[in-house]
Amino acid sequence: MAWRYWRNFDFYPPSRPREARGGIKAQTKGGTFGRSWWARRWIEVLESFDIGQRLHRGRSYARRGQVLSIAIVKGAVSAKVQGSRPTPYQVRIKVATLTKADWKRLTGVLGSQALFAARLLAGEMPGEIEGVFTAAGLSLLPRRSKDLQTECSCPDWSNPCKHIAAVYYLLGEEFDRDPFLIFKLRGMERQEFLRLLGGRVGPGKKNGRRGAPLPEAGEQADPTPPPDPLSTGSGSFWGKERPGEDCFGEVRIPPAPAALPKRLGNFPFWRGEERLLDAMERIYREASMAGMDVFLAAPRAQSEN
Amino acid sequence: MIVLHAGFLDNRLLLWGESPVAATTTPASRRGVKTKAGRPQASPFDAGATRLVSTLEEVGLPVPSKRVRSDTVVAWLPTAGGRPVASSPLIAESPDGPASTTLSPWTVTVLPLDCERTTALLCMCIGKQTLASGVVIGKDLAFWRQAMRFAGALVARQQFLPGLEAREGRFRAIWEPGLAGEDRHRLASLAKDMPAVGRALSRGKADCPPSQAALSVLIAFIAGIIDHLVRRAGSQPPVDSLKPPRARRGATDFASLHDQWLHALRAPDGTLEGEPTALAELERQIREWRRPISLAVASPCRLCFRLEEPEVSGEARPSPAASLREGWHVRYLLQAQDDPSLLIPAQDAWKPEARSWAGLAPPMVGFDVREYLLSSLGQAAALCPDVQASLKRPTPGGYRLDATGAHAFLTERAATLEQAGFGVLLPAWWTRRGTKVRLAVSARVRSPKMQGGGGLSLDEVVRFDWQVAVGDETLSLKELEALAKLKAPLVKVRGQWVEMKAEEILAAIAFWRRNPREKATVRQVLQMGLGTTDQVRGFDFRGVTAEGWVGTLLDRLEGRAAYGELPPPRGFTGTLRPYQVRGYSWLAFLRDWGLGACLADDMGLGKTVQALALMARDWEANGKRPVLLLCPTSVVNNWQKEAARFTPGLPVMVHHGVGRRKGEAFREEVEKHAVVLSTYALLHRDLEHLREVAWAGVILDEAQNIKNPETKQARAARSIRCDYRLALTGTPVENNVGDLWSIMEFLNAGLLGTQAEFKRRFFIPIQAEQDPEAAARLKRLTGPFVLRRLKTDKAIIADLPDKLEMKVFCSLTKEQASLYTAVVKEAEQSLKSAEGIQRKGLILATLSKLKQVCNHPAQFLGDNSSIPGRSGKLARLTEMLEEVFAVGDRALVFSQFSEMGEILRRHLQETFGREVLFLHGGLPKGQRDRAIERFQGETDGPPVFILSLKAGGTGLNLTRASHVFHFDRWWNPAVENQATDRAFRIGQTRNVQVHKYVCAGTLEEKIDEMIERKKAIAEQVVGAGEGWLTELSNAELKRLFALRTEGVEA
Repeated sequence: MAWRYWRNFDFYPPSRPREARGGIKAQTKGGTFGRSWWARRWIEVLESFDIGQRLHRGRSYARRGQVLSIAIVKGAVSAKVQGSRPTPYQVRIKVATLTKADWKRLTGVLGSQALFAARLLAGEMPGEIEGVFTAAGLSLLPRRSKDLQTECSCPDWSNPCKHIAAVYYLLGEEFDRDPFLIFKLRGMERQEFLRLLGGRVGPGKKNGRRGAPLPEAGEQADPTPPPDPLSTGSGSFWGKERPGEDCFGEVRIPPAPAALPKRLGNFPFWRGEERLLDAMERIYREASMAGMDVFLAAPRAQSEN
Repeated sequence: MIVLHAGFLDNRLLLWGESPVAATTTPASRRGVKTKAGRPQASPFDAGATRLVSTLEEVGLPVPSKRVRSDTVVAWLPTAGGRPVASSPLIAESPDGPASTTLSPWTVTVLPLDCERTTALLCMCIGKQTLASGVVIGKDLAFWRQAMRFAGALVARQQFLPGLEAREGRFRAIWEPGLAGEDRHRLASLAKDMPAVGRALSRGKADCPPSQAALSVLIAFIAGIIDHLVRRAGSQPPVDSLKPPRARRGATDFASLHDQWLHALRAPDGTLEGEPTALAELERQIREWRRPISLAVASPCRLCFRLEEPEVSGEARPSPAASLREGWHVRYLLQAQDDPSLLIPAQDAWKPEARSWAGLAPPMVGFDVREYLLSSLGQAAALCPDVQASLKRPTPGGYRLDATGAHAFLTERAATLEQAGFGVLLPAWWTRRGTKVRLAVSARVRSPKMQGGGGLSLDEVVRFDWQVAVGDETLSLKELEALAKLKAPLVKVRGQWVEMKAEEILAAIAFWRRNPREKATVRQVLQMGLGTTDQVRGFDFRGVTAEGWVGTLLDRLEGRAAYGELPPPRGFTGTLRPYQVRGYSWLAFLRDWGLGACLADDMGLGKTVQALALMARDWEANGKRPVLLLCPTSVVNNWQKEAARFTPGLPVMVHHGVGRRKGEAFREEVEKHAVVLSTYALLHRDLEHLREVAWAGVILDEAQNIKNPETKQARAARSIRCDYRLALTGTPVENNVGDLWSIMEFLNAGLLGTQAEFKRRFFIPIQAEQDPEAAARLKRLTGPFVLRRLKTDKAIIADLPDKLEMKVFCSLTKEQASLYTAVVKEAEQSLKSAEGIQRKGLILATLSKLKQVCNHPAQFLGDNSSIPGRSGKLARLTEMLEEVFAVGDRALVFSQFSEMGEILRRHLQETFGREVLFLHGGLPKGQRDRAIERFQGETDGPPVFILSLKAGGTGLNLTRASHVFHFDRWWNPAVENQATDRAFRIGQTRNVQVHKYVCAGTLEEKIDEMIERKKAIAEQVVGAGEGWLTELSNAELKRLFALRTEGVEA
């Protein structure tokens, strides 16, 4: 489908969407979407189309949770958005993928500095990466209109419509969290990308084994220890004096609460009414003090004054 | 008697207990458990449901019968001779000889504990052997207590994450431990200590014992506690919210699954409802969100940053401060999680052969060192621009920086990186807490020399100058200004790196110009000097240097200068040993300055005489004003006797009992006395009368009685005005940080700050953060006011005789007194008509009866009645043994009655929860030898050995004991001495203390006096037995038996 241009012209009067429950809620509190440059770049593509109020409506759809679901596959996104009609609208976004050869060329260059792999693995698209794409005659984000096709089942004749805009904004937020999603839309999965990059970082050549993928979410972290039959000696059976002394190390309440969840950042496509990290901060602060009291075995009431 | 155990099964702790088998009932009828075919038999020691419930009630954890149902499970226990082997001799003797044990199934009654009760119960177990009399904490329970504290520590350090657990199609929102690096290590070492009994419970068919690894069981337990603690903390409504507590809501009440998840994380049960596929999708999302941390946790190593100093070539410049601007380095290293000392430079990790890193055992499946290094560096780059810049190269190994950069790394980047989970290694001169050299201020006091005449007091106002210093270098204003011009944040002063912030230097200059000198009382200066202050207007405060008398005072307090040794005071009739002279002089020194002192000498070193010497001196020197001496009821008599013996010139008044005076009458009476003896029980009750008196001093004997600052006693003790305060205690108070505040607050109010300040500055840093610097600070602050000598100190041993004999005067309880009077009355009646052999028999029988009454009413009545609270001697013995145990000593207790030995054994076992050995005539040789062997040889063996005088009087070698108690007296010193020699024999390397118990005011005391008077000719007079007593006339006997009421408890 080709882009249609309707400048400054909103045909339909603004309609109120039906209330959507449990939709995806943007975590961006106010202002512009996209903290990262790459997410903003993505949103700039949308905002370059002059669709007037629809951008604003799209943002408020994204914040209110009108987008019910988003699924991302290589080169394509499909989403459901609750509009004013009972049945949610279907939104589809198609992005032109790069060829295998293109990606090979790119990873060849990207492997020459530790920076690219390091920043990407750490969840950030290095700023220098656009230069590498340009030098290879490619672009990170779809630039030409034929690189990007959008459609929505709503009756609005504008494309992009506010529903597409809402999905767009939410995707931008998700790119903040995981820059590899942009590669996915360009036809490259994270694991594949790392494999291509794998042998090139560092001086050596690939040796026998191919760059192994990262283990899936640390599943191997705690392999179940082998069974351990009970001892029969009555001495060790009943236990020893002063067990587990000095196994605590330094116990300190961290100055800034909830460092672990904060390190993880936003939850993918959060739909909750309460912001997750706000809730975490409160819980971690309270729990930390309670934990200290249990550690010191000082009942709460006594430790208060 | 019940020994509590707990095993982990079905994801919770199941409480069970062992009780001794009552002799009269058979195990089966006791509980009425039917033995079905194929089902294991009930353990004969099973405490049963009723007993478990009543025990929990007794310790203050009532179990709502509706919600908690007891249950029967299989316990795999070591078994020998068709019976389970009991966990402790308190329950049953272990089988004789090295009988081989097998693991067999038995059924036991369990009480499932929810997390709330688990934590409450385990918190109670901290620092104790028993929960109540006869309720013994099993070693497995002690283990779970440590495991719970481990979980508490993880929560305190915020090492947990929200999650979603899918189990059998049910989904639960849970909080999970994040076990990274060292924590995994610690957990593994804790798991090694898990006793087998902790995982010996199973359900259903009992065909083989459970074999789940200790580590898995431990992780499951800890996860449960963490979930509970966080959930409970999270469910508290936020302080600023007025919303009512969250009500239970159904799945349809939530706009999204995310809402429901967040709600369930804070709800008591945590279950999520909804479409299974949607819930499974949520579970995947959560996993994905947590992925970076799961990866970091799973990784066998972590990225570390090490700041390295420039290498100095040649001689450092002679100026006080030199700055080396260049040549600093931050190096990237990989640190093995399993062995933090294993550090591999990133340069090596980039090499292709490092890919799976053999240095890390066991190498994790699919772990790629370089990929890990890359992603870690990527994360660090976001926090630290220098790292980002270093990534321009393909294989970065670190980066260079100058002094300013190094300073920024030390002060900012290091903390940021550390909090993000990276390792940071800094030079020792920076990390050593407290000794970190930086700009600090100190106060310099000039005061006149100490004059002999005195007349100085702590309320004197002195002037002092502020000084600014770096390390030990005092800096002049000029030097400061020169430093400010250098503008280097890190400079080297005399070979030491020093942090120098320009704004700090400028602030110091400004501060100095504004207030070069100030005024304060000597008391304030002392407190500053000892370290009550860390900071003065934003600057580190380094302490006080003083000249003149204030300096002398500080030096003496801190032990840098000796205080003069005083001659024994007038009116003190005893002889002080050299260390007692030092102790007395120290007490007098602090008293003269109005400072409170805590004398914490080991038991038997003579705290009483030192305190009496002080009172005698003060009475003469300070206008004959009375001292209030508070002690436990059981030692009132002892104080009276000791005062009469060592300071006969001091009039002592006992304020105790129903007839005690109050108000005006009390005040008048007090004025006539030097020492007023009263008890802790009355401290609060009679506070209004006590506060009316202008006391010279308040002395607390057994001062650990006020260790809990919240108690009425502690508050009352603090509120009585007086010139000086003294605390006596034989338990090592300085070892228990938590107990220190209350005693110090009594002695020197304000020294340790408020209770909250104390918790923040000392308690948490020492107990939780293991901050050695806080411990040192506390010691410095309290050290001048606590004197504790151990009987093992070299200097003390030289002053002590090898055998130290003491009498312990005890009182009778009211019950004992009335029994005593009844026996005497009856004897007097019968004696009137008795003659010859009959008279002799009657006298000996009466003697024996009276001794029994003095020992314990239950012994006299022989009725197996309850034990605690009925005998003054027993109360005192229990207190003294507590002190003996507190310092890890062992004791022998002699009684001539084996019935009393049995009572003692029962009582001491129930009170202390530890096995007590008892050797009596009826014990077979094998058991007797085994008991001796255990007492002498076992490391954690039974600390008390009770011996009947006849059975244990001769031929034994019990040199492990350093205390001998004669609970009752054999009126023949030779027999007693023989018994004492069990402990005091060749091979004994420690001094032995012999405590002879005497009930004050009874025949025991009178016979004791007679023996003392006739000691020189004792051998002839008293011969071999007690027969000589029968030669006394009726009138003499009447006087002998008569009870003087002063020895009776009120």
